[in-house]
Amino acid sequence: MPTLIELSGVKKVFGSGPEAVHAFGPVDMTIEDGEFISLLGPSGCGKSTLMLMIAGLLDTTEGAITLAGRRVAGPQTDIGIMFQDNTLVPWRTVRGNIDLQLEMRGIDPAERAADVEELLRSVHLEDFQARYPHELSGGMQQRAAFCQAMVHRPKTMLLDEPLGKLDAMTRENIRSDLQALWMQKRPTVVFVTHSIEEAIQLSSRVAVITPRPGRIERIIDIDLPFPRDFEVKSSAAFIGHVRETQEIFRNYGVI
Amino acid sequence: MRMWNTVVHSWMFIAFFIGFFLFWEYAVIWFDVPRYILTPPSVIVQKGAADLDRLLYYTYVTGLETVLGYVVAIVLALPIGLAIAFSSVLRRTIYPFLVCIEMVPKIAFAPLFISWLGFGLLPKVIIVFLVCFFPIVLNAILAFNSLSEELTRFARSTGAGAWRTFVKIRLPAALPQCFVGFKYAAINATVGAAIAEFIGSDEGLGFYIQIVTGNMRPDLAFAGIFFLTLIGLCLFGVVTLAERLLIPWHISVRRKSH
Ligand SMILES: Nc1ncnc2c1ncn2[C@@H]1O[C@H](COP(=O)(O)OP(=O)(O)OP(=O)(O)O)[C@@H](O)[C@H]1O
Ligand SMILES: [Mg+2]
Repeated sequence: MPTLIELSGVKKVFGSGPEAVHAFGPVDMTIEDGEFISLLGPSGCGKSTLMLMIAGLLDTTEGAITLAGRRVAGPQTDIGIMFQDNTLVPWRTVRGNIDLQLEMRGIDPAERAADVEELLRSVHLEDFQARYPHELSGGMQQRAAFCQAMVHRPKTMLLDEPLGKLDAMTRENIRSDLQALWMQKRPTVVFVTHSIEEAIQLSSRVAVITPRPGRIERIIDIDLPFPRDFEVKSSAAFIGHVRETQEIFRNYGVI
Repeated sequence: MRMWNTVVHSWMFIAFFIGFFLFWEYAVIWFDVPRYILTPPSVIVQKGAADLDRLLYYTYVTGLETVLGYVVAIVLALPIGLAIAFSSVLRRTIYPFLVCIEMVPKIAFAPLFISWLGFGLLPKVIIVFLVCFFPIVLNAILAFNSLSEELTRFARSTGAGAWRTFVKIRLPAALPQCFVGFKYAAINATVGAAIAEFIGSDEGLGFYIQIVTGNMRPDLAFAGIFFLTLIGLCLFGVVTLAERLLIPWHISVRRKSH
């Protein structure tokens, strides 16, 4: 598969002088077209920072990022981003919030009505499209935010802890939905998570990131068949990957 | 249940209100307070009604000063606030200047304006304007500068231009904080008008209250205060109504409707 995203010597330092925070890197990494890669690491290791740098919303302090062969030097508009804190606006309904992504891009929401409805159905929010964000639970808000991030049909998705606020059961459901979606359309997905099991279940590769300043400790190829249902998750190979990852974090004293 | 609670709560309030006026009424009679010091509410109503024509005309005069000053303040403060919020040059020059002026009690300028511009409508409008302008402009600057980082990033990630981002995100996000300024100014607008009239005028409720107080007529003074309050209430009511229409989604509005 061709390379889609390439990081070379990417480093981020916030601030300067004695108060500077070395948040991330330096890191070299390539992300292939159509892969599902998880960024797995403890809180504060720079996962969100990395994601924002790939999206061109945060400058790198050192190094360079290329996306589809072009150097990232400003906001990338042909990707779908789900931010860690959801970007639903309180003055629009769920439906209105999804349309906002289209309107901001100059696309007439009426043209994409069928798309929006399908997207809403896929996250089981079709009955809540006329509700305002404050009328939804945290998990429902996250699902609405997912639709907002995806409605313009991006081929690359950056998802920052998209399942963070969901309960275990819903989380399991959405994981399989997400996996089905990925298998069907094969977008490139960069997926940020704290959950070892989640990363291994969903990803073709897992990038294990060290505590701050985040560096790539290891990239684990997850060579298991898709879809990774209950059967696969109880296999020895799956459990082996989980233990390997846990080992890394144990050595860092994170768990 | 909630309905019932609301009914009980509003009745408690009304009962207290009525109790307050009853206490006033009978305390004045019981303690035999001289009429030139304080009159019972019933006398205020009676004497006020007898002088209603004058009171209504003066309410019109003061109301006009208040509304004109308030509207001009909004019309000027919003674009100026916007300009300051979006221009780093203005934010380093005009903004600190405004913050300094904000420290000056605007009412202190009233005698100067009267001496410069005479007894007419204009100096009063200017003083109401001064009282209203600062809370509106400062809240507007705050409003347009406090878009969350996440929404700023979202807007940038869509590639939308500055105008579209303004209309679809910045403006609606700023409205609640703008209304904080509008409401604060609405409450203080009549203060500006009344004091300006105390200092120099030949009509209006402030003028009226001063004259009747000098004539030992506290009953009429209270009647004047009542109409002055009414102007303030109406202005505040209109602003609150506008708030409900424009930002029904906002938490400050939602809480009230529950
Ligand atoms: N704007 C900023 N200014 C200064 N420091 C920052 C800023 N943003 C992030 N940091 C620091 O950079 C480090 C990495 O932050 P980041 O948000 O990328 O972590 P994360 O891996 O996403 O954590 P979490 O899993 O908790 O979301 C943190 O130590 C944080 O304090
Ligand atoms: Mg994060």
